[in-house]
Amino acid sequence: MHHANHFYGHAHVLARYCGLGDGHPPRINGYVQHGWNIGDGLAPGHPYAERTPSLLWSDQTRRRAWSVGRRNVVTIGAPFAYLLDLRRDDPPEPHREGTIWYPFHGWEGQHVKGDHKELIARIQATEPGPVTICLYWHEYGMRRVRRLYENAGFRVICHGYRGHWWKDTDPFFLDKQLSELRRHRRVASNRLTSAIFYGIAAGCEPAVYGDPMILSDEDPTFGGTARIRRQWPELHGESVDQTTAVEIARAELGTDHRCTPAELRELLGWANLQEDDVDD
Amino acid sequence: MTTETAPRVALPGGEMLAWSDLPERRLAEGGPLAALLARLVPAGARVLLAGPHDPALLARLAHAAVTCLLRSHPDGVVLADRGARVVVGGPAGLPDDEQWDVVVAAAGLDAVESVEGHRLGWDGVLARLVTAVAPGGTLLLRVDNPLGVHRLVAVSPWYVDRSDRAWSVGGVLDAGRPANPAQARARLASAGLRPEAGFAAYPDPDAPTVLVAADELDRRATSGLFDAMLHGACAGDPGATVLQDPARLAVDALHAGLGSALAPGWLLLAHRPAGVATDDRAPAQPGAVTADAGPDSAAVSGAVAGGPVDSGTVAGGRADLPVALVQTGPPGVGVVEVHAGADGWRWWAGGATPRSEAAPFASREVAHRDVAALHGPVPEGRLLRTLLLDACLRRDLHTLRHLLRGYATWLAAQADADGRLAGATALAGTDNVVVVGDEFAVLDPSWQATAPLELDVALARSLWRFAAALLTGGYAHPWASTLDVAGLTVVLGGVAGRDLSRATVAAAVEAEAAITAALRGLDAEGRVRLADELRAVSPTDPPAGPRSYQQLREAWLRQREEMTRLSALLKWTEELLTSRERALRRADATINLLSGSLSYRVGRLAITPARLAKRGARAAKRRATAALNQRRPDQEQQ
Repeated sequence: MHHANHFYGHAHVLARYCGLGDGHPPRINGYVQHGWNIGDGLAPGHPYAERTPSLLWSDQTRRRAWSVGRRNVVTIGAPFAYLLDLRRDDPPEPHREGTIWYPFHGWEGQHVKGDHKELIARIQATEPGPVTICLYWHEYGMRRVRRLYENAGFRVICHGYRGHWWKDTDPFFLDKQLSELRRHRRVASNRLTSAIFYGIAAGCEPAVYGDPMILSDEDPTFGGTARIRRQWPELHGESVDQTTAVEIARAELGTDHRCTPAELRELLGWANLQEDDVDD
Repeated sequence: MTTETAPRVALPGGEMLAWSDLPERRLAEGGPLAALLARLVPAGARVLLAGPHDPALLARLAHAAVTCLLRSHPDGVVLADRGARVVVGGPAGLPDDEQWDVVVAAAGLDAVESVEGHRLGWDGVLARLVTAVAPGGTLLLRVDNPLGVHRLVAVSPWYVDRSDRAWSVGGVLDAGRPANPAQARARLASAGLRPEAGFAAYPDPDAPTVLVAADELDRRATSGLFDAMLHGACAGDPGATVLQDPARLAVDALHAGLGSALAPGWLLLAHRPAGVATDDRAPAQPGAVTADAGPDSAAVSGAVAGGPVDSGTVAGGRADLPVALVQTGPPGVGVVEVHAGADGWRWWAGGATPRSEAAPFASREVAHRDVAALHGPVPEGRLLRTLLLDACLRRDLHTLRHLLRGYATWLAAQADADGRLAGATALAGTDNVVVVGDEFAVLDPSWQATAPLELDVALARSLWRFAAALLTGGYAHPWASTLDVAGLTVVLGGVAGRDLSRATVAAAVEAEAAITAALRGLDAEGRVRLADELRAVSPTDPPAGPRSYQQLREAWLRQREEMTRLSALLKWTEELLTSRERALRRADATINLLSGSLSYRVGRLAITPARLAKRGARAAKRRATAALNQRRPDQEQQ
């Protein structure tokens, strides 16, 4: 129902996991958390219908959402965790090398303030192997920013367009991301974000360092980057303990809470679909 | 030849001629009380039943010489017809020169006193009955709990009683009567008796279906057996109206170590020492119980009743008496006992009578109760339902997953080659399975499926029952309120690691209807009605069982909550629809422009600025009119 459910092709991944095929996913009876989040799992500023279920990644987020007045909050795990299950039988990458680096992005309505050049120098000084820079589509479309990274000798990619108002969603956004992550040995960013957790879950060594940059109108309600550094200090640094990172990523992505297909169909409101609900 | 017989009804004065006390609600074969008396009373003993008792007790005491002390003459005639010696009158009517080996006042002391004659009061009646206990004999006394579960859930308070028997309302305000077992024991001791073990009686002090050794009940607060027993006993009469769910309250009391403190009543045993006579009017006679309580009397009563004689001890000093006596299930099952032994508790169900008329149809029933299966040890552990409820309330998905996966794996391990479960395992629901660590066991194996069930259907049936209780009971849980009972069953199946389909759940509901109908003895029509009811169970319904004000209100709140949710959703959807309709109009206009003929496109392009200008002028006019209208009232105010 909510267009944010389609961001990054999340609804598409869940529909494939539920056995509904690659077509346009049916409406979800609830809001699927669409990114790692230190708040209630929902995006601030989006209109939501009261008491419609929030389908969240982790139990910690569920507790936090409840504490700020959300009800009907359910832990189902991240769509990425479902993708990992869908692609558990993929042949392993023969050779993982280098780092996939995610400079922190805002979204269409926000703009990052920070010095890309300084960040590039830090990456060059830190990363041992070849570096792939993955830009958010918004920055990828800004030729000036893209050139900065390309001129530094990095491979610059974009996983696709996350979509907006059901338009132009790349249903294989997460698939592309997983394929890229599996090619690399390390995943890094200047902020702890979904991509770092995805990378850890895909077998990368994580690192979080460099100027975290700030958004021009960052919402301070949940404490921002300062709180992230306070709460997850273990995941910050050029090199972090892999075992700890895997454990935290498992909890934050709610991998243990991944539902079975029939269970998920019930929780998403897909158990009693009419034929017309699933289209191409 | 004529045979002279002594009159069976003695009338020493004080009888009530237009009165009856005999209990309206009677349990089959006298229920757990009769089973307890059968263990307490040795062969040939003299027994005084003081006050109105179920006539069925007489049949269970056929091996003893029974005298009944009643205040109602009609009741006396009924019992005399059953072969008892009857004294009808107040307690003063008991022969002064006679004593009994066992005196039973299991209807309490109030019903011993008549409206006629001088009132003795609680202590006075006790004193008279104590005098009637022979040295070495035993008194079994019922004391009602003024704060028992039955009182806490009662719709009417105790002090408003205006019934015929309430010519005097004795209650907790009366310092002349004990209000708890400690006070009662103190009075028994001061009356010259030695208080012994006591039993907590649930759910109705007038007709308890469960008797549990009080100290064990308090000590074993997490016992799955006690949990299931108290819940089953208090689940109650569907026609009753209560303030809150008595089963929930009883189980909460158990877990708080207050199972005995909140019991509706207590049956207390007190022993009169052999060597200390309070008077010497009646010396002990041959055949009387002269042994002190303990192993000797255990041997006697064990021999009488044919039960186990264990060397284990029960707190209170009566190793011969059961830890618990319970009557559940279809008639004819009798009372099931639990005895303490050196290696733990054991079932004992020797009192059951074989099924008679039901037997020819047994093969057609899908489920039955086979008490012969109750002979082994009682498995220890916590009840799975309680553990699951607790994890749901704490929204602890890890524990839920661990428990449900363990449960499903345990069930699967017992399936046959065709993936079907038979016997007790097929019916092993969350309310009849105990858990210790990762070990699961059927608590009461007497509930058996006659025909095997598919593993998934058996699991879905169990999960459906739990889901229905969870949702209709209004328990907090970690899932969305949008799930119906079948949906939550599928979700629970997923948590258990089994992908159940809605078709499997539907089959499980049919199986549940058939099993419940068989165990309740319903006919085909009743079974169809039950199946319809089960299929219609919705999360906004109150739970099955007694109509509870608290739960009816909660069901109403859930309905209101659902209305609020749906209203918000409708409003949001309307707004979204408006926005999407606008987007569709824009898209239509674009399509028209792109797909029209050249002259149409030129015309549209020419007209569009004029249309926009006209729309803008209208909007400006509206704003100006609104501004003027707003100013006029302001001016009028000035």
